[in-house]
Amino acid sequence: MIRLLLSLLLVGMTALLLAFLQSTTPSYAVLTGPIETSGPQKDTVSSKTFSVKVAKLLRAKTIAFTSYGKPVERQTEGAWLIVSVELQSKYDTMTIQAAAIEGASGRSYRQTHRADGAPRLLSSKDLQPGLPTTGIFIFELPEDETSNMALVLSRQPSPQLDSEIRVKLDGETVETRDRVEIGNNGV
Amino acid sequence: MASRRERRLWLASLLSLPFLLAGYYAINAWRNAEDYIKRNELRVSDNVGGQTYAKASWTLNQARVIGDGRDGKIAFPGQMRLVVVRLAARAEDDIGQSWAQCSLTLTDPIGRRWQPLNFILSKDLSRDLDPKATPIDSCDTISRQPPAKSANTLIEEKFVVPADAISSLSAQLSFASTRPEAISFPLRLN
Repeated sequence: MIRLLLSLLLVGMTALLLAFLQSTTPSYAVLTGPIETSGPQKDTVSSKTFSVKVAKLLRAKTIAFTSYGKPVERQTEGAWLIVSVELQSKYDTMTIQAAAIEGASGRSYRQTHRADGAPRLLSSKDLQPGLPTTGIFIFELPEDETSNMALVLSRQPSPQLDSEIRVKLDGETVETRDRVEIGNNGV
Repeated sequence: MASRRERRLWLASLLSLPFLLAGYYAINAWRNAEDYIKRNELRVSDNVGGQTYAKASWTLNQARVIGDGRDGKIAFPGQMRLVVVRLAARAEDDIGQSWAQCSLTLTDPIGRRWQPLNFILSKDLSRDLDPKATPIDSCDTISRQPPAKSANTLIEEKFVVPADAISSLSAQLSFASTRPEAISFPLRLN
Protein backbone atom coordinates (compact mmCIF):
# COMPACT_ATOMS: atom_id res chain seq x y z
CA MET A 1 0.00 0.00 0.00
CA ILE A 2 2.77 2.44 1.01
CA ARG A 3 4.67 1.51 -2.14
CA LEU A 4 1.63 2.37 -4.27
CA LEU A 5 1.17 5.71 -2.49
CA LEU A 6 4.84 6.55 -2.93
CA SER A 7 4.63 5.73 -6.65
CA LEU A 8 1.56 7.94 -7.05
CA LEU A 9 3.30 10.76 -5.17
CA LEU A 10 6.38 10.40 -7.38
CA VAL A 11 4.27 10.47 -10.56
CA GLY A 12 2.35 13.52 -9.28
CA MET A 13 5.55 15.42 -8.39
CA THR A 14 7.10 14.57 -11.76
CA ALA A 15 3.99 15.86 -13.55
CA LEU A 16 4.14 19.08 -11.51
CA LEU A 17 7.83 19.54 -12.27
CA LEU A 18 7.24 18.97 -16.00
CA ALA A 19 4.30 21.41 -16.01
CA PHE A 20 6.50 24.02 -14.26
CA LEU A 21 9.31 23.52 -16.78
CA GLN A 22 6.89 23.73 -19.70
CA SER A 23 5.21 26.89 -18.44
CA THR A 24 8.51 28.69 -17.77
CA THR A 25 10.32 27.70 -21.00
CA PRO A 26 10.12 30.53 -23.57
CA SER A 27 8.52 29.47 -26.86
CA TYR A 28 10.57 29.01 -30.02
CA ALA A 29 9.02 32.18 -31.45
CA VAL A 30 10.20 34.18 -28.41
CA LEU A 31 13.68 32.64 -28.40
CA THR A 32 14.22 33.38 -32.09
CA GLY A 33 12.12 36.58 -32.25
CA PRO A 34 13.22 40.10 -33.16
CA ILE A 35 15.93 41.97 -31.27
CA GLU A 36 13.96 45.06 -30.39
CA THR A 37 15.18 48.63 -29.89
CA SER A 38 12.73 51.36 -28.85
CA GLY A 39 12.99 55.11 -28.71
CA PRO A 40 11.04 58.35 -28.92
CA GLN A 41 10.36 60.24 -32.13
CA LYS A 42 12.68 63.12 -31.28
CA ASP A 43 15.76 60.85 -31.18
CA THR A 44 17.64 58.87 -33.79
CA VAL A 45 16.81 55.30 -32.78
CA SER A 46 19.68 52.97 -33.46
CA SER A 47 19.78 49.17 -33.59
CA LYS A 48 22.79 46.96 -34.26
CA THR A 49 22.17 46.96 -38.01
CA PHE A 50 20.35 50.19 -38.90
CA SER A 51 19.07 53.48 -37.49
CA VAL A 52 16.02 55.66 -38.10
CA LYS A 53 15.12 59.30 -37.49
CA VAL A 54 11.52 60.36 -38.02
CA ALA A 55 11.49 63.76 -39.72
CA LYS A 56 7.80 64.48 -40.34
CA LEU A 57 4.32 63.03 -39.82
CA LEU A 58 1.42 63.98 -42.08
CA ARG A 59 -2.22 62.93 -41.91
CA ALA A 60 -4.56 63.49 -44.86
CA LYS A 61 -7.79 62.39 -46.47
CA THR A 62 -6.39 62.52 -50.00
CA ILE A 63 -2.97 61.79 -51.42
CA ALA A 64 -1.83 62.63 -54.94
CA PHE A 65 1.25 61.67 -56.89
CA THR A 66 2.47 60.90 -60.39
CA SER A 67 3.20 57.28 -61.22
CA TYR A 68 4.87 56.43 -64.54
CA GLY A 69 3.79 59.80 -65.91
CA LYS A 70 0.13 59.37 -64.91
CA PRO A 71 -1.44 61.49 -62.17
CA VAL A 72 -2.90 59.36 -59.37
CA GLU A 73 -5.23 60.47 -56.58
CA ARG A 74 -6.32 58.25 -53.70
CA GLN A 75 -8.96 58.98 -51.06
CA THR A 76 -9.73 57.14 -47.86
CA GLU A 77 -12.59 56.68 -45.38
CA GLY A 78 -9.97 56.59 -42.63
CA ALA A 79 -6.73 58.52 -42.75
CA TRP A 80 -3.56 58.43 -44.79
CA LEU A 81 -0.49 58.64 -42.62
CA ILE A 82 2.72 59.64 -44.34
CA VAL A 83 5.86 59.14 -42.29
CA SER A 84 8.96 60.87 -43.59
CA VAL A 85 12.18 59.32 -42.23
CA GLU A 86 15.95 59.14 -42.61
CA LEU A 87 17.37 55.61 -42.54
CA GLN A 88 20.95 54.48 -42.31
CA SER A 89 22.42 51.00 -42.59
CA LYS A 90 25.46 50.36 -40.43
CA TYR A 91 27.35 47.43 -41.96
CA ASP A 92 25.58 45.89 -44.96
CA THR A 93 23.60 46.95 -47.98
CA MET A 94 20.01 46.25 -46.98
CA THR A 95 16.37 47.11 -47.62
CA ILE A 96 13.65 47.80 -45.07
CA GLN A 97 10.92 45.51 -46.36
CA ALA A 98 8.72 45.64 -43.26
CA ALA A 99 7.23 48.87 -41.96
CA ALA A 100 4.09 49.01 -39.85
CA ILE A 101 2.16 51.39 -37.64
CA GLU A 102 0.96 50.04 -34.33
CA GLY A 103 -2.20 52.05 -33.66
CA ALA A 104 -3.94 53.10 -30.44
CA SER A 105 -5.84 49.78 -30.26
CA GLY A 106 -2.64 47.76 -30.58
CA ARG A 107 -3.51 46.63 -34.10
CA SER A 108 -0.72 46.67 -36.65
CA TYR A 109 -1.11 48.34 -40.05
CA ARG A 110 1.38 47.46 -42.79
CA GLN A 111 2.29 49.85 -45.61
CA THR A 112 -0.53 50.36 -48.06
CA HIS A 113 -0.36 48.97 -51.58
CA ARG A 114 -2.80 51.64 -52.75
CA ALA A 115 0.10 54.07 -53.01
CA ASP A 116 2.46 51.73 -54.91
CA GLY A 117 4.40 53.70 -57.47
CA ALA A 118 4.50 56.88 -55.36
CA PRO A 119 7.84 58.70 -55.44
CA ARG A 120 10.34 58.36 -52.58
CA LEU A 121 8.88 55.16 -51.13
CA LEU A 122 11.56 53.61 -48.95
CA SER A 123 10.49 50.00 -49.40
CA SER A 124 11.99 50.04 -52.89
CA LYS A 125 15.29 51.66 -51.90
CA ASP A 126 18.60 50.01 -51.01
CA LEU A 127 20.28 51.38 -47.90
CA GLN A 128 24.03 51.63 -48.39
CA PRO A 129 26.31 51.68 -45.31
CA GLY A 130 27.51 55.19 -44.53
CA LEU A 131 24.94 56.91 -46.73
CA PRO A 132 21.78 58.24 -45.04
CA THR A 133 18.68 57.63 -47.16
CA THR A 134 15.55 59.75 -46.85
CA GLY A 135 12.08 58.81 -48.01
CA ILE A 136 8.54 58.02 -46.93
CA PHE A 137 6.30 55.22 -45.73
CA ILE A 138 2.54 55.48 -46.42
CA PHE A 139 -0.12 53.84 -44.26
CA GLU A 140 -3.92 53.78 -44.42
CA LEU A 141 -5.61 53.35 -41.06
CA PRO A 142 -8.79 54.29 -39.13
CA GLU A 143 -8.82 57.87 -37.90
CA ASP A 144 -9.04 56.95 -34.20
CA GLU A 145 -5.90 54.79 -34.41
CA THR A 146 -3.76 57.87 -35.05
CA SER A 147 -4.04 59.22 -31.49
CA ASN A 148 -1.34 56.91 -30.15
CA MET A 149 1.03 55.24 -32.58
CA ALA A 150 4.38 53.52 -32.93
CA LEU A 151 6.36 53.00 -36.13
CA VAL A 152 7.83 49.48 -36.33
CA LEU A 153 10.62 48.79 -38.86
CA SER A 154 12.65 45.73 -39.73
CA ARG A 155 14.55 44.22 -42.63
CA GLN A 156 11.73 41.71 -43.28
CA PRO A 157 8.35 40.88 -41.77
CA SER A 158 8.48 38.85 -38.52
CA PRO A 159 12.26 39.08 -38.19
CA GLN A 160 14.09 36.24 -36.45
CA LEU A 161 17.14 37.16 -34.37
CA ASP A 162 17.36 40.36 -36.39
CA SER A 163 16.92 44.02 -35.47
CA GLU A 164 13.49 45.60 -35.13
CA ILE A 165 13.13 49.29 -34.31
CA ARG A 166 10.05 50.70 -32.59
CA VAL A 167 9.65 54.48 -32.61
CA LYS A 168 6.98 55.91 -30.32
CA LEU A 169 5.29 58.64 -32.37
CA ASP A 170 4.27 61.89 -30.77
CA GLY A 171 0.63 62.56 -31.70
CA GLU A 172 1.09 66.32 -31.25
CA THR A 173 3.59 66.51 -34.09
CA VAL A 174 1.20 65.04 -36.68
CA GLU A 175 0.40 67.71 -39.25
CA THR A 176 -3.12 67.40 -40.69
CA ARG A 177 -3.95 68.42 -44.27
CA ASP A 178 -6.90 67.71 -46.54
CA ARG A 179 -4.70 66.74 -49.45
CA VAL A 180 -1.02 65.87 -49.69
CA GLU A 181 0.94 66.02 -52.93
CA ILE A 182 3.85 63.56 -52.96
CA GLY A 183 6.56 64.75 -55.29
CA ASN A 184 10.13 63.79 -56.05
CA ASN A 185 11.29 66.16 -53.31
CA GLY A 186 9.06 64.58 -50.69
CA VAL A 187 5.95 65.94 -48.97
CA MET B 1 7.92 -10.33 -13.82
CA ALA B 2 10.57 -9.26 -16.35
CA SER B 3 13.56 -11.50 -16.81
CA ARG B 4 17.05 -10.36 -15.78
CA ARG B 5 18.05 -10.00 -19.43
CA GLU B 6 15.04 -7.82 -20.18
CA ARG B 7 15.80 -5.58 -17.17
CA ARG B 8 19.41 -5.21 -18.29
CA LEU B 9 18.27 -4.25 -21.79
CA TRP B 10 15.79 -1.73 -20.36
CA LEU B 11 18.53 -0.16 -18.23
CA ALA B 12 20.97 -0.04 -21.15
CA SER B 13 18.30 1.66 -23.31
CA LEU B 14 17.61 4.22 -20.59
CA LEU B 15 21.30 4.97 -20.10
CA SER B 16 21.84 5.34 -23.87
CA LEU B 17 19.14 8.03 -24.18
CA PRO B 18 21.33 10.97 -23.02
CA PHE B 19 24.08 9.91 -25.44
CA LEU B 20 21.64 9.58 -28.33
CA LEU B 21 20.16 12.99 -27.53
CA ALA B 22 23.63 14.56 -27.31
CA GLY B 23 24.54 12.88 -30.62
CA TYR B 24 21.41 14.26 -32.27
CA TYR B 25 22.22 17.82 -31.15
CA ALA B 26 25.87 17.44 -32.17
CA ILE B 27 24.93 16.29 -35.70
CA ASN B 28 22.44 19.17 -36.07
CA ALA B 29 24.99 21.68 -34.78
CA TRP B 30 27.61 20.30 -37.18
CA ARG B 31 25.22 20.66 -40.15
CA ASN B 32 24.34 24.24 -39.14
CA ALA B 33 28.04 25.11 -38.72
CA GLU B 34 28.81 23.64 -42.16
CA ASP B 35 25.97 25.64 -43.68
CA TYR B 36 27.25 28.83 -42.00
CA ILE B 37 30.79 28.23 -43.24
CA LYS B 38 29.59 27.60 -46.82
CA ARG B 39 27.62 30.87 -46.83
CA ASN B 40 30.22 33.22 -45.36
CA GLU B 41 33.61 34.52 -46.38
CA LEU B 42 35.63 33.66 -43.30
CA ARG B 43 39.15 33.38 -44.72
CA VAL B 44 40.11 36.28 -46.95
CA SER B 45 43.50 36.48 -48.64
CA ASP B 46 44.93 39.09 -50.97
CA ASN B 47 44.96 38.04 -54.61
CA VAL B 48 48.48 37.14 -55.70
CA GLY B 49 49.33 37.35 -59.41
CA GLY B 50 49.24 33.92 -61.07
CA GLN B 51 47.28 32.36 -58.19
CA THR B 52 44.43 30.10 -59.32
CA TYR B 53 41.10 30.60 -57.60
CA ALA B 54 37.89 28.84 -58.69
CA LYS B 55 39.82 27.36 -61.65
CA ALA B 56 40.82 30.79 -63.00
CA SER B 57 43.51 33.42 -62.52
CA TRP B 58 42.24 36.87 -61.59
CA THR B 59 43.46 40.44 -61.93
CA LEU B 60 41.95 43.80 -61.14
CA ASN B 61 41.41 45.31 -64.58
CA GLN B 62 39.93 48.67 -63.59
CA ALA B 63 38.56 50.58 -60.59
CA ARG B 64 36.88 53.94 -61.16
CA VAL B 65 35.31 56.51 -58.87
CA ILE B 66 32.52 58.51 -60.45
CA GLY B 67 30.62 61.35 -58.89
CA ASP B 68 33.30 63.68 -57.55
CA GLY B 69 33.81 65.37 -60.92
CA ARG B 70 37.30 63.94 -61.54
CA ASP B 71 36.30 60.99 -63.77
CA GLY B 72 33.66 62.31 -66.15
CA LYS B 73 31.51 65.31 -65.44
CA ILE B 74 28.92 63.56 -63.32
CA ALA B 75 28.63 64.88 -59.76
CA PHE B 76 26.57 63.03 -57.16
CA PRO B 77 25.03 64.80 -54.17
CA GLY B 78 26.80 64.86 -50.81
CA GLN B 79 28.91 61.86 -49.92
CA MET B 80 27.46 59.59 -52.61
CA ARG B 81 29.94 58.10 -55.10
CA LEU B 82 29.76 55.37 -57.73
CA VAL B 83 32.61 52.85 -57.81
CA VAL B 84 32.99 50.68 -60.91
CA VAL B 85 35.09 47.54 -60.44
CA ARG B 86 36.19 45.43 -63.37
CA LEU B 87 37.96 42.09 -62.91
CA ALA B 88 39.73 40.12 -65.64
CA ALA B 89 39.72 36.33 -65.45
CA ARG B 90 41.53 33.66 -67.42
CA ALA B 91 40.05 30.15 -67.21
CA GLU B 92 42.89 27.79 -66.30
CA ASP B 93 40.62 24.73 -66.44
CA ASP B 94 37.06 23.76 -67.35
CA ILE B 95 35.01 26.08 -65.08
CA GLY B 96 31.78 24.04 -65.06
CA GLN B 97 29.76 24.97 -61.97
CA SER B 98 32.75 26.43 -60.07
CA TRP B 99 31.52 30.02 -60.47
CA ALA B 100 27.97 29.37 -59.24
CA GLN B 101 26.61 31.83 -56.62
CA CYS B 102 29.27 34.39 -57.43
CA SER B 103 29.68 37.18 -54.90
CA LEU B 104 31.65 40.35 -55.66
CA THR B 105 31.33 42.93 -52.90
CA LEU B 106 33.23 45.94 -51.59
CA THR B 107 34.48 45.97 -48.01
CA ASP B 108 36.34 48.39 -45.80
CA PRO B 109 38.55 47.82 -42.72
CA ILE B 110 35.75 48.62 -40.24
CA GLY B 111 33.64 45.73 -41.51
CA ARG B 112 31.21 47.51 -43.80
CA ARG B 113 30.13 45.65 -46.93
CA TRP B 114 28.51 47.07 -50.07
CA GLN B 115 26.53 44.87 -52.45
CA PRO B 116 26.57 45.66 -56.19
CA LEU B 117 23.73 47.56 -57.84
CA ASN B 118 21.02 45.48 -59.42
CA PHE B 119 21.25 44.30 -63.02
CA ILE B 120 18.82 46.88 -64.52
CA LEU B 121 20.33 49.89 -62.77
CA SER B 122 23.83 48.71 -63.63
CA LYS B 123 23.03 48.40 -67.35
CA ASP B 124 21.32 51.83 -67.35
CA LEU B 125 24.38 53.40 -65.75
CA SER B 126 26.71 51.71 -68.25
CA ARG B 127 24.69 53.27 -71.08
CA ASP B 128 24.75 56.69 -69.38
CA LEU B 129 28.52 56.54 -68.80
CA ASP B 130 29.43 55.38 -72.29
CA PRO B 131 26.51 55.11 -74.73
CA LYS B 132 28.67 53.55 -77.46
CA ALA B 133 30.30 50.79 -75.41
CA THR B 134 28.77 47.34 -74.92
CA PRO B 135 28.00 46.88 -71.20
CA ILE B 136 30.18 44.28 -69.49
CA ASP B 137 28.31 41.45 -67.76
CA SER B 138 28.04 41.12 -64.02
CA CYS B 139 29.48 38.33 -61.93
CA ASP B 140 26.14 36.53 -61.74
CA THR B 141 25.56 36.66 -65.52
CA ILE B 142 29.07 35.43 -66.35
CA SER B 143 28.79 32.58 -63.85
CA ARG B 144 25.99 31.07 -65.96
CA GLN B 145 28.11 31.17 -69.11
CA PRO B 146 31.71 30.93 -67.96
CA PRO B 147 34.58 31.11 -70.46
CA ALA B 148 36.05 27.97 -72.00
CA LYS B 149 39.43 26.68 -70.85
CA SER B 150 42.26 29.16 -71.66
CA ALA B 151 39.75 31.89 -72.64
CA ASN B 152 39.58 35.33 -70.99
CA THR B 153 36.61 37.29 -69.72
CA LEU B 154 35.73 40.52 -67.92
CA ILE B 155 33.34 40.99 -65.01
CA GLU B 156 32.02 44.40 -63.95
CA GLU B 157 29.99 45.50 -60.93
CA LYS B 158 28.94 48.96 -59.78
CA PHE B 159 28.58 50.11 -56.19
CA VAL B 160 27.21 53.16 -54.40
CA VAL B 161 29.52 54.04 -51.51
CA PRO B 162 30.23 57.06 -49.28
CA ALA B 163 33.17 59.27 -50.27
CA ASP B 164 34.95 58.77 -46.93
CA ALA B 165 35.27 55.02 -47.56
CA ILE B 166 36.80 55.27 -51.04
CA SER B 167 40.48 55.23 -50.04
CA SER B 168 40.21 52.03 -47.97
CA LEU B 169 37.99 49.87 -50.20
CA SER B 170 38.78 46.33 -51.30
CA ALA B 171 36.83 44.17 -53.73
CA GLN B 172 36.13 40.71 -52.35
CA LEU B 173 35.35 37.74 -54.60
CA SER B 174 34.00 34.30 -53.70
CA PHE B 175 31.87 31.47 -55.07
CA ALA B 176 29.79 28.69 -53.53
CA SER B 177 32.58 26.27 -54.49
CA THR B 178 35.29 28.28 -52.71
CA ARG B 179 33.63 29.68 -49.58
CA PRO B 180 34.68 30.18 -46.80
CA GLU B 181 37.81 31.21 -48.75
CA ALA B 182 37.61 34.55 -50.60
CA ILE B 183 40.17 36.65 -52.47
CA SER B 184 40.56 40.35 -52.03
CA PHE B 185 41.73 43.09 -54.38
CA PRO B 186 42.71 46.36 -52.64
CA LEU B 187 41.42 49.10 -54.98
CA ARG B 188 43.88 51.83 -53.89
CA LEU B 189 41.55 54.63 -54.97
CA ASN B 190 42.17 58.20 -53.90
